[in-house]
Amino acid sequence: MAETKIQRLPAEELYQTEMEALISAEKDPIPTGWRMSPRSVLTYITGGVKVKGVDITPKYMGNRRLVEIAISTLVTDRALLLIGEPGTAKSWLSEHLSAAVNGDSTKVIQGTAGTTEEQIRYSWNYAMLIARGPCMEAMVKSPVYQAMESGSIARIEEISRCASEVQDALISLLSEKRISIPELGLEIPAQKGFSVIATANTRDKGVNDMSAALKRRFNIVVLPTPSDMATEMEIVRTRVAQLSSGLDLNAKQPEQDTVEKVVTIFRELRGGATLDGKQKLKATSGVLSTAEAISLLANSMALAGSFGNGTITAEDLAAALQGAVIKDEDKDKVSWVEYLENVMKKRGSAWLPLYRACRELNE
Amino acid sequence: MGGPVIFGVRHLSPAAAFQLRKALEKAAPDLVLVEGPSDLNDQMKWLCHPDTRFPAAILAYTQTPPVRTILYPFAIYSPEIQAILWAHEHWVECRFMDLPSGVFLALEKQGTAEETAAGAEGKEAAEKSREGAEGKETAEKAREGAEGKEAAEEAKEVAEGKETAEKAKEVVEGKETAEKAEVAEGKEVAEKVEGKEDRGGTETGLSGKEREGLGDTTESVYRRLEVFTGEEHDTFWERNFEQTGERYQEAAGTFGRMLREASSDDARSTAETLVREAYMKRVILQAVAAGIPAEKIFIVCGAFHVAGLEGNQPMTDEEERALPRMDSTATLMPYSYYRLSSRSGYGAGNKAPAYFELLWEAMQGGGLEETPYLYLTRLAAAHRRAGNIVSSAEVIEAARLADTLAAMRGSRYPVLADLRDASVTTMGHGNFSELALAAADTEIGKKIGFLPEGVSRTSVQEDFYRQLKELRLEKYRTAELQELDLDLREKLNVKSRQAALADLRRSFFLHRLRVLGIHFATLLPSRQTDANWGEYWNLRWTPEAEIEIVESSLLGETIETAAAYAMKERAENSATIAQAAAIFEDAFLCGMPTAAVHALSMLQSLSVEAAALNDVTETAWRLSFVIRYGDLRQFRTEPVIPLLKQLYLRACLILEESCICDAKAAPVVAGSMERLNALVLAHDFLEEERLLALLREISDRDDLNPHCSGFALAILLERGIAGEDLLAREVARRLSPGVPADLGAGWFEGLAAKNRRALIVRLSLWRQLDEYLTGLDDTAFRRALVFLRRAFADFSPGEKNDVAENLGEIWGCSPSQAAELIMNETTAEEQEVLSGLEDFDFDDI
Repeated sequence: MAETKIQRLPAEELYQTEMEALISAEKDPIPTGWRMSPRSVLTYITGGVKVKGVDITPKYMGNRRLVEIAISTLVTDRALLLIGEPGTAKSWLSEHLSAAVNGDSTKVIQGTAGTTEEQIRYSWNYAMLIARGPCMEAMVKSPVYQAMESGSIARIEEISRCASEVQDALISLLSEKRISIPELGLEIPAQKGFSVIATANTRDKGVNDMSAALKRRFNIVVLPTPSDMATEMEIVRTRVAQLSSGLDLNAKQPEQDTVEKVVTIFRELRGGATLDGKQKLKATSGVLSTAEAISLLANSMALAGSFGNGTITAEDLAAALQGAVIKDEDKDKVSWVEYLENVMKKRGSAWLPLYRACRELNE
Repeated sequence: MGGPVIFGVRHLSPAAAFQLRKALEKAAPDLVLVEGPSDLNDQMKWLCHPDTRFPAAILAYTQTPPVRTILYPFAIYSPEIQAILWAHEHWVECRFMDLPSGVFLALEKQGTAEETAAGAEGKEAAEKSREGAEGKETAEKAREGAEGKEAAEEAKEVAEGKETAEKAKEVVEGKETAEKAEVAEGKEVAEKVEGKEDRGGTETGLSGKEREGLGDTTESVYRRLEVFTGEEHDTFWERNFEQTGERYQEAAGTFGRMLREASSDDARSTAETLVREAYMKRVILQAVAAGIPAEKIFIVCGAFHVAGLEGNQPMTDEEERALPRMDSTATLMPYSYYRLSSRSGYGAGNKAPAYFELLWEAMQGGGLEETPYLYLTRLAAAHRRAGNIVSSAEVIEAARLADTLAAMRGSRYPVLADLRDASVTTMGHGNFSELALAAADTEIGKKIGFLPEGVSRTSVQEDFYRQLKELRLEKYRTAELQELDLDLREKLNVKSRQAALADLRRSFFLHRLRVLGIHFATLLPSRQTDANWGEYWNLRWTPEAEIEIVESSLLGETIETAAAYAMKERAENSATIAQAAAIFEDAFLCGMPTAAVHALSMLQSLSVEAAALNDVTETAWRLSFVIRYGDLRQFRTEPVIPLLKQLYLRACLILEESCICDAKAAPVVAGSMERLNALVLAHDFLEEERLLALLREISDRDDLNPHCSGFALAILLERGIAGEDLLAREVARRLSPGVPADLGAGWFEGLAAKNRRALIVRLSLWRQLDEYLTGLDDTAFRRALVFLRRAFADFSPGEKNDVAENLGEIWGCSPSQAAELIMNETTAEEQEVLSGLEDFDFDDI
């Protein structure tokens, strides 16, 4: 298949078989504009069952109730806003939701500081505009526009990075559910099934506050950081496996033990205390999200695959940890060295190689 | 027609209460039997009193200490209450049918006492084995008439039961789930049943401790159900049973049966369940024997017991006599929704009483479909009251979302979890914390029950309420914290003496409650600086307070006698004069002269023993307080004066030797000195000259702790007894170059501990201090610095500035320059030097 060259396939293609199985096994009523019933969407996301001989893999491992709320929101054609710290699978969930509901997760607007109002509504192909005047052919429809027309879901990533006037453009779209084109004297009503899934980040710097008016138009689901060690390890392991199979890394999957160490370090530094709660730690300036833990392990695998013997060594891990933990040179270095000396050093022989490798980098 | 109608319920379940009433209408029984202690039938009339407001609880307690209590809380939506009320409204006889409360208490006692536990169990087990053989014989006669029919009916019911169960299975998901849980447990149960000599099938009980404690292993079935359904048990129950409507009885019955089969409690609670069921059966058969047709008896019990009541044998007379008993008394008490929500576990409470009441209201009104609107609008209103903005659109969206969530879970109407999640998503912007206050208001509520006057109460309770009324404190009996400011002075512009001293009597009353450990009123620190007639209290009523009042009925008949007894006991157990003095003070605050005199005599005998200086002065100070403000509380102070004199004398005698102490103890001694000084100033009858001479002596002596000497001089200075000359001489002597730095600086620390203004204005003092410091070498200077820093640590910034100005003047720089130097941030180097002082080596001190 030609697709093997694509770095990352959209969810609806990657999990096509699962979705087809669910659709063919459908028993419950399907809302207008949807491909499957809300319950099937839930099954698709939470997974863990076999439908018609096809294993449905779990896509989101957090609280199942949150997924239920998210899906129900879309059923009531309300806009959905997923909020959370980096690495809490906001975009991941948003992609899979729209893939399951519409079979199309590609109507995306990537929110940036440079996103303009036109990108939310519509813009013009200026060459054609000058040649033919305002007409439908000269119009460049935004993903939101397209979603309204086709009665499907549009995704807005990192909505809080957009300037507030751009955010404001959404307000009337979401309450009126129609888009007006004064240039053509037209008003396009949204088809049934239209909705918006937006994601927003709470901890990063450089985000704009969302207005109360806009927040009111969304149902808001806050995605928590993985609640316990086991869940987080599971997430990290599965995602690392998926990532590395897509990236052709010539390295073995990290061992359980390695994953555990990374997740432990991340959780402890994130929470500002050791896992047993006995010792307080200085938190670092970085967020140390689950996503970072995943890319850290993938990084170490790349290191081991390209320059080592394919197995992640303590040195590989130490180098990757150093980069992930120390974001702000002075302060983070202090916290990291303190952590090494006060916590890691005392953890016994299993941690010793990693401790040595880390200390070497900080001498 | 056939055997009695058995309606299995879940305690505190609105749907059960609602359906139960319907079933009662249909059955039109002659007798209603309700699960509850059968000796407490008297309490029913109060539960039905028109002035009674729920929640209320029946509290049964032992009459001998340690007090054991069992509690039966009821809300308006309790099925038991609705059955009782229905019977009352229709002039039908209604009785409790469970073990008498005394037996419950005795069983509980056995359960807690480990040594006796084995024996008791053996006995019970023996009883049970007898049941099989003997039970049949003895109950035969009673059964002949009614049971025969009943038995046939039962057989039919069993046959029907399967059918019903099947039907229930189709309509009620719960059963299916229960079955699955059962499958998981299946083998285990089978083994257990065999192990118990096969006492007849399904007797693997539950919920023995469903009142106060918790069944452990029924809980584990709940936990397994939770894992299976992915929902909390309360939510599971609400979704599957509260919404079943007409089919409630069969659904709950099936669930109870299944639960009984699936769960296996420890032997003890299983035995207790069996004993209870046998007793209940006995009560039922007694009623039949008394001539009430079996089919005219309506039984309300936990769904779990349905199978037991249908199948088990009744208790024989002999067995009944063999039951352990304790003397017990019962009382009704008001309860609160808050307390109901804070006790988890089946029967003991539920998490959202206000919400359940709302369900109850909805069932009575427009039906369950109204619940979401009621809940959401109340929540929105509460959220708005808390100052937040909630648009109606958000409420509407919440209702829609809740409906969809309920549909996803396959229930007809949204349940609390759906409603709450939906409101968090829309109104709460994804964070429950935003809505937490409003949710507590809507789900738990602040309701407190009320009982009419005349309800059988302990005499202490009577007394409490009588005084509450008399002292016009009734309006403070709410769940919300209220402040009460008292003015203890006699009011001269009112007619009666009673009214003139109203606040004082309130104070006495509240102090007595405090002494009894009844958490109704909390004393706040005084806000007055130079006066003592104000008292500030925080009052909040909790059902716990009611329990505490009941408990104090063991100590006496009234609040006053109980408090007197409590204090007497405490006084006799007190080992130090400080303890005895505290009791004396309490008695004084409670306005109880007899108790005070008793405490005083204890105090006197204790004070003869050698006591530490600080204890003596502390006690003297407390007594002095009583003497000074005794008038205010209408207290005769004459008996206290001789004791105060004694203590004063003792303190003076041991003061000087107490000044031989280390640096740590010195401030304490200084504190005592200060107290003594204040005592002398407050009371003319104390020998002033004795103390002053003593202070002069301490100030002069070189071999005492320098801090103490310095402090003694400070007092003398303040009193105007030491003059400029003496100060100059002492400074010169204490701060001369030969004296070790720590002694000199320690002395200065003592001197500066009080009356600082007087020191600051004396320029000569600072000049001497300066000269002294200049004369020190580096090491000695550092050493002195440690003490001086400490001496100046609690000077206010203003005082420090003044000192700096003084020094500036000595060194010849202007005040502004000095101030500037002081205000500068310390540099890193200085900081380092200062932190170096902190781990200064004191090894040779």
